[in-house]
Amino acid sequence: MPHLGIILATYLGACVEWVEAFTIVLAVALSIGWARAATAAGAALLVLAGMTLTGTALLAYVPDFAWVQGVIAAFLILFGLRWLAKAIARGAGLRPLHDEVAQFNAVRASKGLSDHHAAWLIAFNGTLLEGLEVWLIVVALGVHSHHTLPVAAAAIAALLTVIAVGALLHRPLARVPENALKFIVGGALLAFGSFWLLQALGYAWPLGDGALPALAAFYLLGGLGLVALLRRRAGAAA
Amino acid sequence: MRALFKTLFGSARTISAAAAAVVLAGLALHGPAPVLAGAVLPVALLAGAAYLALKG
Repeated sequence: MPHLGIILATYLGACVEWVEAFTIVLAVALSIGWARAATAAGAALLVLAGMTLTGTALLAYVPDFAWVQGVIAAFLILFGLRWLAKAIARGAGLRPLHDEVAQFNAVRASKGLSDHHAAWLIAFNGTLLEGLEVWLIVVALGVHSHHTLPVAAAAIAALLTVIAVGALLHRPLARVPENALKFIVGGALLAFGSFWLLQALGYAWPLGDGALPALAAFYLLGGLGLVALLRRRAGAAA
Repeated sequence: MRALFKTLFGSARTISAAAAAVVLAGLALHGPAPVLAGAVLPVALLAGAAYLALKG
């Protein structure tokens, strides 16, 4: 179950990030053409692949694994906390939902697109920054579970899914339920992060691996409760 | 560089909320009932998520 959860969390999390990267690349491609925009995105993906290989290899050779486990868990907590909080705020109406069309229009309106070199850099940086979050998830979940290959494959599968749907539609993937995905992945990352962090500190979870689904359920149900509570609070204040 | 830092670590508020939760869990782990650490960390993190959702 933990491994299936890791692969699913990676796939869903990567989908969210690749959709955002696709929006930027699409906006740039309409200015400098698909071939150039694709080389920018491809170059960023190569950098990310290199970082994944290097990160995995380095972490695999660290002798004190409990120490690595703690650092990885801390990253997962930071990451999951951010995603869950953002999804709760958006779900409760405290923040507007992420709008791929608005993001697309913002990139299209940026002055840099008139210069081919600057536009190439926008596509490269956009893909790299969105991909960094995928890299973090892949290295953190993959190294820790000793399943880097299937976890990386899940991220690549997400990339291929987004490319296939994007190539079919030729417009920003605005109908992807990004907030729901962020909510689920945020809860899952927090569950893995808190489980591994306490384990690294010497804590023995009473249910063993069975604590993981319990933690995920706690974060997701707690998050849903917070959405309802904050929505009611915002409604009463209005 | 700033965008890279924010991507990897999040905002100062995120770091503070996560650190506070970990410190509380650490205190519980070294307190009289260490088994409670498994409850303290998730509850503190969820409270942190509520704080971050409110404060942005």
